[in-house]
Amino acid sequence: MYIRSMGTQTAPTAPLSPAVFAILLSLAEGEKTGSPATGRGRWGGKHGYLIMKDALAPQGGGVHLGPGTLYGSLERMMRDGLVEESGISDDERRRYYRLTSSGHAALSTELERLDAAVASARSLGLIPHGVR
Amino acid sequence: MTHPPPQASRLEQIYALSLRLYPGRFRVAHAQEMRQTFSDALRDSTLFRRTLIHLVLRDLAISLAKEHLAMLRDTYARPALVFNALVLAGLATVLALALYAIPQQVLRQGANDPQIQLAGDLVAKLEQGATPTEAVPAGSVDMARSLSPFVIAYDDFGHPLASQAQLDGSTPAPPVGVFDYVRQHGEERVSWRPRPGVRIAAIVQRVGGAHAGFVLAGRSLREVEAREEQVEQMAGLAWAVMLGLIVLGTAGYGWCTRPKSA
Repeated sequence: MYIRSMGTQTAPTAPLSPAVFAILLSLAEGEKTGSPATGRGRWGGKHGYLIMKDALAPQGGGVHLGPGTLYGSLERMMRDGLVEESGISDDERRRYYRLTSSGHAALSTELERLDAAVASARSLGLIPHGVR
Repeated sequence: MTHPPPQASRLEQIYALSLRLYPGRFRVAHAQEMRQTFSDALRDSTLFRRTLIHLVLRDLAISLAKEHLAMLRDTYARPALVFNALVLAGLATVLALALYAIPQQVLRQGANDPQIQLAGDLVAKLEQGATPTEAVPAGSVDMARSLSPFVIAYDDFGHPLASQAQLDGSTPAPPVGVFDYVRQHGEERVSWRPRPGVRIAAIVQRVGGAHAGFVLAGRSLREVEAREEQVEQMAGLAWAVMLGLIVLGTAGYGWCTRPKSA
């Protein structure tokens, strides 16, 4: 899923797929806001539908993630060490997921890459006035 | 495999059934979560049902293909499995080539047998003083049609002196290079093509003495080449069967030994 980039010094990974980026963003947002949690101390992560809903929202990237794509992506992300199951659940039919340190790093790298691209577009006057 | 709860709506039941289309390992790992996620989405009043159904249908099409491809890759794209299959395919190819090359060589070499004796006899007669006209047996073999062996005597420059065979009304001669080779080595065994569509298994020998020159003993390769073609077809069939068995065996072995975690 993650291919070493060639020819760049700042980005250690290739661009993430929209699904992976949306999942990482949703889980990171959950950590920041601390919701929803199971109310047992440490933030317990997010379950599938919350991630799906976050991804669909404009601020989550507007990514249409169905259950098949969502769990396929989560499985591969767990295999790559980007996310993990929190092990905390209020319902046996639900599993909760959270970011690992590698997941945080991958998200940071992707955000820096996107930020640089947006800054470049802005400097070229490609972004209309009034758009932040 | 889990079953839908009794209170599940028809849509949930249909979605639960559609999950059977996923590869078994993926289904076991995620079907329950996927059904729960779908149920959560159905109960979310902020999400239009039409939007949800469209999203789920699109997701089914894409993720089914993706997960089946991933399953195939995990099952069959293992280096050891691919390496074994390639080694077996290589061995099968070598075996098929041998199945073709050995009989082909035996057939081709066997096609020279009577000519070796005919050429030797004619050389002996000429070196004992017989003239080419006396030594070459009478007869007219059509090189394009007949399968009979024949002999031709040539002078030291490669011009025909006496011939038992004709092609299109004349006596052809092999390329000058053949005579040059025979001058140095005494004998040459070649597949001679006097004209397109006619191939001759030819033995050319050097004649010494008063009637120095060359003799050529030949025979049409038509039947031999037909048999070589049969051998080629049989070897090709054997190759295809061996490759088919290797593919089936690899697929079966790959499936039986597929990683449980993949």
